[in-house]
Formats: sequence, structure tokens, C-alpha cells
Amino acid sequence: MTGEPVVFVVDDDEAMRNSLKWLIESTGMPVRTYGSADEFLANYYPGRAGCLLLDVRMPGMSGLELQGHLARHSIRLPVIIITGHGDVGMAVRAMKSGAVDFIEKPFDDEALLNSIRNALAFDERQRALQTQRAEIAARLAELTPREHEVMDMVTEGRSNKEIAIGLGVTAKTVEAHRARVMDKMRAGSLAELVRMALIASGEVDG
Amino acid sequence: MDRLHLKSFLYRLLRRVPMPVLAILVGLLAGLGVWGVLEQVQGRALQKITQKELRSELDLRARESLSRFNQYVSNYESRVRLLASHRLLARHLTPQFWFAEERVEPRIYQQFRPDWLPDSRGQDALPGASHVLLVDTEGRIREVYHLGEEPLPVELAAGVPAQYLDPRAVRAVLTRLGDRPLLVVSDLTEDGRGFEMGSLVVLVPIDERFLAASQEGQFFERAPVALVDGDDQRILASVDPDLILPGTLVDVWKDDHLVTLQSLPGYEGTDWNVLFATFVSHDNVEKIARRVGHFERRQRVIAAVVFITVFTMVIYLVSARLNRVLKRMSRFAQRALDIEQPEFRAGANQLVLLEEWSQHFTQLVLRARDEMRRQHESAIRQSEALKAAIMEASLDSIVTLDRKGQIIDLNPAAEQILGGAREQVLGRGFSELFLPPGERERFDELLQAARRARVTGREPPARAELSARRSDGREIPMELSIVPLSLEAQVFYTLYLHDVTKRREAEREIKSLARIASESPNPILRVTPTGQVVYANAASGALLVAWGTRPGLDLPPEWAGEVGETLAAGQAREREAEVGGQVYSFLLAPVAELGYVNIYARDITEVRRAEQQSRQHQAELVHVCRLSTMGEVATGMAHEINQPLSAIVNYANGCTRRLQGGAGDSGALIEAMGQIATQAQRASEIIRRLRALVGKQPPVRNRVDLNHLVREVCSFVEFETSRMGLEVALDLATGELPVDVDLVQIEQVLLNLVRNALDALGDVAPESRRLVIRTRSTAGEAEVVVEDSGPGIAPARLPHLFDPFFTTKETGMGMGLPISQTILENHGGRVWAESPPAGGAVFHVRLPLAVEVTQFAVAGAA
Repeated sequence: MTGEPVVFVVDDDEAMRNSLKWLIESTGMPVRTYGSADEFLANYYPGRAGCLLLDVRMPGMSGLELQGHLARHSIRLPVIIITGHGDVGMAVRAMKSGAVDFIEKPFDDEALLNSIRNALAFDERQRALQTQRAEIAARLAELTPREHEVMDMVTEGRSNKEIAIGLGVTAKTVEAHRARVMDKMRAGSLAELVRMALIASGEVDG
Repeated sequence: MDRLHLKSFLYRLLRRVPMPVLAILVGLLAGLGVWGVLEQVQGRALQKITQKELRSELDLRARESLSRFNQYVSNYESRVRLLASHRLLARHLTPQFWFAEERVEPRIYQQFRPDWLPDSRGQDALPGASHVLLVDTEGRIREVYHLGEEPLPVELAAGVPAQYLDPRAVRAVLTRLGDRPLLVVSDLTEDGRGFEMGSLVVLVPIDERFLAASQEGQFFERAPVALVDGDDQRILASVDPDLILPGTLVDVWKDDHLVTLQSLPGYEGTDWNVLFATFVSHDNVEKIARRVGHFERRQRVIAAVVFITVFTMVIYLVSARLNRVLKRMSRFAQRALDIEQPEFRAGANQLVLLEEWSQHFTQLVLRARDEMRRQHESAIRQSEALKAAIMEASLDSIVTLDRKGQIIDLNPAAEQILGGAREQVLGRGFSELFLPPGERERFDELLQAARRARVTGREPPARAELSARRSDGREIPMELSIVPLSLEAQVFYTLYLHDVTKRREAEREIKSLARIASESPNPILRVTPTGQVVYANAASGALLVAWGTRPGLDLPPEWAGEVGETLAAGQAREREAEVGGQVYSFLLAPVAELGYVNIYARDITEVRRAEQQSRQHQAELVHVCRLSTMGEVATGMAHEINQPLSAIVNYANGCTRRLQGGAGDSGALIEAMGQIATQAQRASEIIRRLRALVGKQPPVRNRVDLNHLVREVCSFVEFETSRMGLEVALDLATGELPVDVDLVQIEQVLLNLVRNALDALGDVAPESRRLVIRTRSTAGEAEVVVEDSGPGIAPARLPHLFDPFFTTKETGMGMGLPISQTILENHGGRVWAESPPAGGAVFHVRLPLAVEVTQFAVAGAA
């Protein structure tokens, strides 16, 4: 569904767009260019993997506004800001609102391409984590309430005995619950189970 | 006629006799008169008194005699008692025991004193006693001691009767035994053991010796005494048998004597009626009467003398006093009433004189009073006329009210001002008629106040300002004064009403005028020629503080002198001065008629500061404007050029990568190369357009004095230099240095140089900061030299000083000097720098002098 990651370029200057496309395609990454933020929004569908190269200075919706729009719509596309000389202040604002990097014109090609690669890697990781989280959530949904309790206590690092006392059941019962939890969560080890619990609670970025 | 003559003669006589003499005469006469009357009246009274006196004296003597007798008897009792209880008797009786025999033979002591009677005083102890008996309890005589020859009375031969004895105590009995009066005194006796033995009885014949002893020789001759038998009035015994013969009847003696008979009730135990008689011979009585009479007369004489003396003294003192009073009164009359002194002669009768004088005085006083009354009436008439005239002529309204506040009189002015015809307003209430309702209460209070003032005494009349209402309804401000007056127990009020409309207006006018000064936001002062501040309005506070003075004190000497000069000159003068850090513009205006100088000050600090600031701002604005324009142009230019350049870089990098990677068909590469060329052309086009834009403006040239520019620039940096504590030393060429320049650009250049110098000086110690600006003209050129004592310029840097983007400052762009150089080159001038070995930096700016120097100078002078 997500397909191959794409580098989206939004710049009002056509020569700029085309030269960027020319440069980035030299590495083999697919590039889509748009002349304005509106054009990009009209063609982008959420979930597409990739990163966004965004010129901060544009007529119509500016780069910063587009960034804000994406954030509001929970589109977690990594954004790299392109700035001209003297737009550093604006670039800082962009970074503060979540851009992963900013690149000053004229470009050092290696730096730009590195930045793109990093952004794409970041995007991929995010997506993987997202998938994992969804999977873990699905598995968690299969647990009974009592199994949930047992899992919570196990991941907190309590022994079977402690859990038995805490829940007022026999250690054997806890053992059985625990085995079922491991089974349902498809965790090979206790460490894996703990990791799943952390991912599910959002404490780990992946 | 005779009587009249006599009277006047007497009167004249009386006048001549002085009062003291008269007083003595009258006193004597009065004394004699009193004496005569009293003699008559008192003669009889005296006799009565003498009789009474005599009687009482006789009574007294009789009582005294009797009491002496009684005393003597009681003394005798005491003696007997003493003997009866004497230890000798007790010792004698102790071994005795008397049997109760029928008949007892008493032991008789004739020649010798018995051993039971004390020795020494045997004779004296019992004077006149004839027998001393010891009897037993039955009354039988046991022992007898005869003191004389007389035998024991026969009545006692058988024993002593019980009536003479007292079983318990001593008893004295007057009795008659053997036809002789006898005193029988008995007392109980006891033996040594306390056994009652009987009684000791002493018989004492009452004869002339006894009586004489009893009277102790007192009044012996003048008042002999005797015992008289009460039954037959016969004398039993007398104190002096030669004088009063015993055995005779009392009546026989009454011819020659006054006889007083007194009973002797004190001696019980006898039924014998015996009387005690006191005889006083008539000779004696008369003697007494005479003595009393003498005494009386003497007293009367003394009284009369004292009376006359006192009377005379009093009259004398009164007359002496009268003399003085008369003198004083005459002096007083002379002085007080201005009338001649009435005739007054000392040494005559003062009373008469007083009478005459007082008559005379009364007449004079009456005359004076008449005169005064006439004068007074005339004065009253005059004053009435005067008052009426005043009332008539008064410009103020005068209204008289009675106690109830009703009008009883008013003058024509009141009629006219208040607009009420006399006949219409008389008898009507003033307050209702002429006062608006709002003022009536106050008016009533004023009346009350006036009345109180009248009661409490001298106080100024009640005064107030209030509005009165004319009969036509118009209200006019009035000053009102109320004077209360009491006439014949009635209270009246005189109201003086003064129309103060005009005065009010004038006051308001003056007040409003006076406010101009006090309200003025600028300091206004009035000063005496010596410099003393007599008035200062509120706004002059800061000025006064700065001068260290205040109203009543003097201005600083410099200003006091200025004030004096202004007044002497009689003309206003202006001056501008800095006082207490503020710049003031002063106008000193003399007030010749009052000898003052008014000082009008205006704080122009702000104006001056604003002027300076506006100049500075203007310059800075120009500078900033230019800089920002330049900056914007530069930024825009950079962005514009950056775009194609970035595209070129991207295309070139893309090509390189493709060629390195061996990928990429030549068609695409060629297209990219074409793109590179297109973008390069685009960049060059942008630059061309920009240059065309800049090159459009024609140069501006104005003729200015370079010195003026330098001063102006210095004023721009005044704030900074003063902050740094630096004074820019100006060494300017004399005369003008005219140049044809773009004013703003050259100012910019100079400002740039000065700023650089200031920045350099910021790095050195404040005390060694120095900045000199010189101007001079040399060979058709004007030169400005800016020389600072800063760290100087390193020799290595000196050649690059004017290269673009070369800067030593952290904040600098490195464009100041290149731009300056460009500007100067455009003006046909140049700029260069030196760094002398001594330190510091020197910048030289040269500009060509304007061609028509003389013309310019002439134009400037015109």
C-alpha cells in the first residue's frame, strides 16, 4: 500500500524544482515535484512513504503553513526545509515546528542527499513502529482482563508469587495465565513481552 | 422783729464758734443736765437699793455668823471623834470591863488629866469644855474628868440620857442643863480589841467664850451674836456680855440694833427651841448705807466725765473731718464744675459753713446743669440735622428696622436702590420684601448675631454679603452691616446696604487677571530692584530651587544685577540661560511705577532638545533609510540571484553524479546542460536589471560650507560623545569652505569616519580619548582630517582598508569605507588613511572647492 518511498519537492521556482528532481533522481529515488503547497495537498494521499522538500518562501500557502497543515492532519511525513540566504530565522521556526532538517541554497549535493536519506530512513522506522504497534494492539485485544492484569504485573518485573498474592490466586493459576499471555502475544521470551508492552504504551520510538 | 434780731444774732454767734468748742460746751451742758436729772431720779432709787443692799448684807452676815458657829461645832465634833478613837483611850479601855451594875461610882479626875486623854493638847483640844465623861453602853458614867470647877450637871448624875448618845456615830446636841446652854458631843469608844465599850461625852458650856471662839473674832464689834431661847425670846448667852446682856429680852435690843434670828435645826436629839441671833447696830447700818451712796456717786461722776470726754472727742473729730471734707468738696467743685469756690473760712462753725456752702453749691450745680442741658439739646438738634442730612445724602441704603424686622425708616438711596416707595414699604418686613427666600435665614442669623453682640458688649457690627431682591425681582449683591441700638428698652436695627455689583465685577475681573499669572504653566516672578523675590507662581518651583531662593529671599547676585539694570534701563530685555540643567528663555519686564521687575521665564529645554533631536533623527533616518534600502536591495538581489545559481548547482551536481554512475543518457544530460546555461543567463539578466535600476538616479549637487557639514555631523554624534565623556576638538578653517556636494552623501561619509573614530576610541581608557576634526583648504581643495587617539591601524591592514567586506568590527559589514570611497570618487574627491607611529588613526577627505568662491561668498554675505 505504502509502496516505494517518494521524495516530494514543493517549490514555486520551476528551475529550482526541476534541478532538484534532476539531482535527486541521479541517486535513483523517485521524485514528485509540485509548484505550490495546494498542488501538493491535492495530489498527496496520506500514508504514502517518503519525505518532503519544502521551500519556506512561496506565494500562496507558505512552507511553514503547509507544515502546520500536515501536523494538524497527523501526516507524519518528514519535512526538510529549503531556505535561501537570510531565511535562517524562518528555518529555525520550521525546525521548531517539527522539520527534520533544513538545507540552505545553493545546495551542497551530498549534504542534501544525506539529509533525504536520513529522512526516508526515519519515515520507514516510524512506519515500522506504527505497524508493530498496531499488531501488538491487536494481540493485546485478545487478552482477557485477568490476563491483562497478569501481563501488566509481569512486565513490571514481579515474580509469579508476588502476582499470586497480589491477585489473590494460586501461583499455579498465575503460571497458567502467564503461559496464555505469552502465547497470545506471540512473545518468545519475557524480554520480548516487555518490549511489546513498552511499544504499546508508546514509550519506545522503535 | 426782736425775735428776728435775736435769731440772726444767735446765728452770727453760732457761726463764730468753732465746732470743737461748741462740742465741749454742748457736752458739758448735756452732762450737767443728765447729772441733774439722774440725781433726782437716782436719789430714790438709791435709797431702795441701799435698803436692799443693807438687808442682803445683814442676811449675809447673819448667815456667815451662823455658819461659823456650825463650823465650830462640827470642828468640836471632829475633835471628840479624834479623842474617842485615840489609841490612849483604847489602851485604857482594853483591860476594863464594866459590869452592868445598878449603881456605878464613877472615877473622877479632878486635878489630873486622865491617862486616856492625849497629853500635849489636852487644853487646846477641847477649848471651853467643862467635863469629859466616859460612859458605858447603858449611859452610865464610868469616869469623869473635870476641867473646871463646875460640878457635873445634876441631870447627868444618874447617867447620860440616850438622846445625847448615838449608838453608831458622833452626835452633837445643843441642850440646856442646869439652866445653862450646853453643847453635848458624844462618840463611840472601843477598846484595843475592837469591843464596843460605850461613849466619850464632852460637855461644853455655851458662854461668851464659846461664841467668841466660834466667831473667831470676826465682826465682833459690828455684829455680835447670841443664843436666844426661842420660847421666851430671852438671850441665853452672848458673845460680849458687856454689849449684849444675857438674860434680857431680844426686843430690848431692837431699838439700837437690827436683830436677825435664825433657827438651829442642825442639832438633833433635843426639843429645845434655840435661836441664833445676830446683832448689827444702827450706826453700822448707816455707815454701810453711806458707803454705798459714796460709791454710787463716784461712779456717776466718772461716767459723766467719760461721757463728756467721748462726746467732745467725737464732735471734735467729726468737725475736723468736716473741715477736710469741706476743703476737698470746694476744690472738687472748683475743678469739676468750674465754679468759683464758695466762701470758706476755717475756724468758724463748719456745720453752718457746710450748710451755706451746700446751698451755694446746689445753686451752682443747677445752673451748670441747665447750661449743659441747653448745650446738649442744641448738640442733639445739630446731630439730628446732621444725621438726617447723612441719611438723605448717603449713596448707600440705610434702613431702620424694629425688633420684629419691620421697616420703620429708610433713606432715599434705599428707596431708589431697592426700588420700594417709602409709603409702601414702611411697616412691612424687610426680609420678605427685599430678600430672596434663600437669604432670609442668613439675614435672620445676622440679626441674631447683631443682637447678641449688643448684649455681650462692644463688638463690631455684624457684616455679611448677601443678595438683595429689588422690587422688580432683580437680585443685586449687597454688603450688609447691621448696627443694633436700644432706645427706651426697645431694640432697633440699622441696616447699611452697599451695592457691591460693580465691585464684585471688578474683583472678579482682577481675580481672573491675577489667575493668569498663577495659572501660567511658565514661571512668572516679581522681583524688587535688590533682587528679592516678592511673588513666584506655582510653575516657578523648579527655577526657584535651582536658584536656591524662594519668595522673600534674594535671587543669585548675577540675576539681581540683571534685574537692577533692567529697572534702571526701564526697558524689557530678553535672555536665554541654562538654570539647573534646564534651558530657559527669560523676559525681564520692569514695572517702573511700582519699582518691580516681572520675570517671565519659559522652559525651552524641551524645545532645544527636540530641535537637536529632530536634527539628529533626521540625519539618522537618512542614514538608516539608505542602509535599509541598500539592505533590502541586497537581500532581494541575493535571493533573485541565488535561485538560478542554486538551480545551476543542482543541474551540475546531477550531471556529475550521473556521469560518475555511468547512468544517464546523453539527451537528458544535454538538456540539463542547457538548463544550466538558461539559469546562468537568468542570473546575469537579474544583475543587468538591477544596475539599470541604480543607474537611473542623477547625482544631486548643492553648495554648502564644509565647516557647516562638520559641525552638523558633530551634533549628530553629540549624544554618543557626551556619553563617552569626550569633547570633539574642532579646528576649523576660518571662513567658509564651499563645496558642491550631495549633502546627505558627504554627511554620510563624514559621519562614517567619525563613527569609526568613536568606535576606535571605545577601546581605550576614557582619559586618553581624543578626537580632533580639522578643516582647511589647500590648492583648490577642501580637506577634512579626522584624527583619533584610538589603537590605530596595523600597517598590514592599511592597504586593504578600502576593500569591500574588509572589517575589524564584529558588527560591521565592511562596506562603510568602500561606499565612502565610491561617494567621494563620484564627487571628484578622495579619502585615505594614515596610522602615525605615535598611535591613533588619521583619515583625510578631500573635495574640490566650489568654483565660484567669490560669488558664493558675496551671495552668502548678502
